[in-house]
Amino acid sequence: MIIAADHLSKWYGQVIGLNDVTLAVPPGITGLLGPNGAGKSTLMKLITGQLRPSQGSITVFGEPIWRNPASYARIGFCPEQDAFYERMTGVEWVAALVGLNGVDEEAARAMAMRALDLVDLAGEARKKIGAYSKGMRQRVKLAQALAHDPELLILDEPLAGMDPVARRRTIRLIREWGRAGRTVLVSSHILHEIESMTSNVLLIHQGRILAEGNVHQIRDLIDEHPHTVYIRADETRALARAFLAEDGVLSLKFEDQALVVQTARPDAFYTRLTAMAASGELGTIHEVTSPDDNLQAVFQYLVK
Amino acid sequence: MASVTRRPTLLPSALRVFDLSLGQMLWSRRSLFLALLLGGPLLLAALVRFAAVADPAALPRINGQRIGGLTLFGMMMWLLYIRFIVPVLGVFYGTALIADEVDDRTITYLFARPIPRAAVLLGKYFAYLACTSLLVLPSLVLLYFLVAPIGERGIGAGVPALMADLATLVVGLAAYGALFAWVGARVKRPVVVGLVFAFGWEPGVLLFPGYLKQLTVAYYLQALVPHSMPSVSPVGSIMQMLQPAPPSVAASLAALGAITVLTLWLAARAVESREYVLEP
Repeated sequence: MIIAADHLSKWYGQVIGLNDVTLAVPPGITGLLGPNGAGKSTLMKLITGQLRPSQGSITVFGEPIWRNPASYARIGFCPEQDAFYERMTGVEWVAALVGLNGVDEEAARAMAMRALDLVDLAGEARKKIGAYSKGMRQRVKLAQALAHDPELLILDEPLAGMDPVARRRTIRLIREWGRAGRTVLVSSHILHEIESMTSNVLLIHQGRILAEGNVHQIRDLIDEHPHTVYIRADETRALARAFLAEDGVLSLKFEDQALVVQTARPDAFYTRLTAMAASGELGTIHEVTSPDDNLQAVFQYLVK
Repeated sequence: MASVTRRPTLLPSALRVFDLSLGQMLWSRRSLFLALLLGGPLLLAALVRFAAVADPAALPRINGQRIGGLTLFGMMMWLLYIRFIVPVLGVFYGTALIADEVDDRTITYLFARPIPRAAVLLGKYFAYLACTSLLVLPSLVLLYFLVAPIGERGIGAGVPALMADLATLVVGLAAYGALFAWVGARVKRPVVVGLVFAFGWEPGVLLFPGYLKQLTVAYYLQALVPHSMPSVSPVGSIMQMLQPAPPSVAASLAALGAITVLTLWLAARAVESREYVLEP
């Protein structure tokens, strides 16, 4: 097993972040699915040695990870927070971070450029990060995680805020890494995202692992609940008109420059949305996000 | 892409962090504040120079003697730079070396790399030293050229002392920065603790006879300042007579070196073992 946790708990003062978790993550892609505040980020920070376990143990590549920076060379971490050195360009930032892995300057820059190319950001590599869109910021964060070619990738909500095309490309990239024999642990609060990458899922809720393995049954449950999608686009009215004709669309709502859609058929909806974004027929789609209310409802149902 | 398994060691890693941090530090809001702070003494010096040119009799006197440019420069160096600007910089930059990255939530990117955490602290400390020196040293040189020409003696007479002053500033920045880096790594309200130390404890114990003053940075810096400070009042003269002789330059340098190395080491140890929980 690449990652193994044994009765792992993490408390923040009186607040429980993770509660008595025992798990094993095999090679390949594993999805970590849970609503916001479920403990996904806490688990990922424990796996990457950012946090010290309050109780129990966690090993990565068979070794304890807290205060073991030698192991960090084998890990790439894409954290959730939207935080950067805004004045640096994408390539400067990624190269500087790769340089901390002991790579000389020239090689670090070449590795950074390759990584930026992989996330489709080579053309924007010399722009300041402060001028990047939300989706570009997600991609540059992903680039710094994979630039040093790690064996284990820990990706905390990597698709959040990406436009549909970048989302599709990133999903394909993650699947390629899995096929190449790397281990990827990827978190999301959207089952459809996770499902498009892997069928091996860890369900986490209120700091506990509820289930692990193949979760088709959960998927069926989730499909019974309406799924809400928030789309920030130039032509929200044209998008709304197009979605009115779609099966499964339950409601449409306008919010500032965004359209909020509730659908009973998320798979079909995302396929149609990606096709629209790729064709550009209804203007540019900047950002697609999904609040986790629907998943929260399913988890509440599961733990009853 | 080739996998990199060689673990970088402390010093090369610290230099990489230095590279990454210097630009950020130089263009930070804190450096803008520092530039404004350094404008104060220069403005004051410009006013004094203007007054001296307009009316030489307007210059201040001590014990009936009109003070010359070099004496005035020495006083400004001690009171404004050593006793005020350097500790302020030490407090605001030193306590923030790691705290800034934590507040900005960028610390994850550094701590997720295969380098000792101590290298992050050390690299940022070097960046602090370079950043503050780059701003403070030119300011002192400008101050010298504004103030030194006042009076009879020429600019050249004070140049050796100016060189010593510049070195003293760097030594002071190094010592205060290291001390407050340790405070920043250990306590919850480091700025408050730092300000109390720099502007409560230090001036307090320096006023009185005894050995407590050896627990300050200013005491050792005082011995490095080449200018003789004129006493402005009879009470001051009595206090000076009661004070034991200041330590030698060599002893002061050794003490400041020891403070710097020891507190940096303690800060590095604290950063290595401390858990940083980022606010969501």
